Amino acid sequence: MIILINNPKSAHQVYATPPGDLAIWFFIFAELLAFGIFFAAYAFARAHNIALFDASQQHLSRTSGAINTLVLITSSYFVVRAVAAIKQGYSNQCARWIGAAIGFGAIFLAIKSFEFYGKFSSGITLSTNTFYMFYLSLTIFHFMHVILGMLILAAVMLKARRGGYSAENHTGVETGASYWHMVDLLWIILFPLIYVIH
Amino acid sequence: MRPCTLIWLSLMLLTVATYAIGEAGMGGTAVMLTVLGIAVIKVQMVASYFMDLRHTRWLWRGIVLGWLVLVTGLIAIAYLTTIK
Repeated sequence: MIILINNPKSAHQVYATPPGDLAIWFFIFAELLAFGIFFAAYAFARAHNIALFDASQQHLSRTSGAINTLVLITSSYFVVRAVAAIKQGYSNQCARWIGAAIGFGAIFLAIKSFEFYGKFSSGITLSTNTFYMFYLSLTIFHFMHVILGMLILAAVMLKARRGGYSAENHTGVETGASYWHMVDLLWIILFPLIYVIH
Repeated sequence: MRPCTLIWLSLMLLTVATYAIGEAGMGGTAVMLTVLGIAVIKVQMVASYFMDLRHTRWLWRGIVLGWLVLVTGLIAIAYLTTIK
């Protein structure tokens, strides 16, 4: 699966393809493209409704958004440790790190659900105004990606627990890890864009 | 300390910085560019160290970096054309 290319500039190994199954990377790039268009659309929509966007943004819980950023980054870090563990051949350790990452994913979902509940119970919907249309659809879209990422990680964890990966063969772990990092990466742009910049 | 642990700590600190800027209610061109700049650095950290793209061909890093520059560039343009 992994092809090494000689890099004359350094002694480090340079891989021809990114970690994990190449197919997941095409999926990741498609997701980045979709979210990228969504992010830019938000910014340009705001340009036409600055007062509305700035006023509505004041009603978001920046603290929840920031805590969720810390939660996802930490979850991503756990996945990095899971990959490092399986590269050493430690299946159980790998499964435990992934379990921790899934747990933090669940914390993210809980905090975000609490935020959604607050908005929905005060009568805010997609049709309240343009800001909330973007806020709700972007964050719900991202929320679904968190769920998908957790399902992928759960499958990887179960296989790791059964000893299905090894130091030599752990493409599946890297595939799940890459997807999970993308979910984190998107939130890293989403948080400042929607919760902070005005 | 593992490099990835250092990256994780840096990401946490940069997140707190972004949050502090938001809590201070700061706005304007310089603040917008700073917050976007922090996001660019964080995404590059995740892509290079967490996704481990630093050990892959330039093509893969280039796709992510190109996407990042394009998206944050468009966001910056949208804000620059409206901030007075």
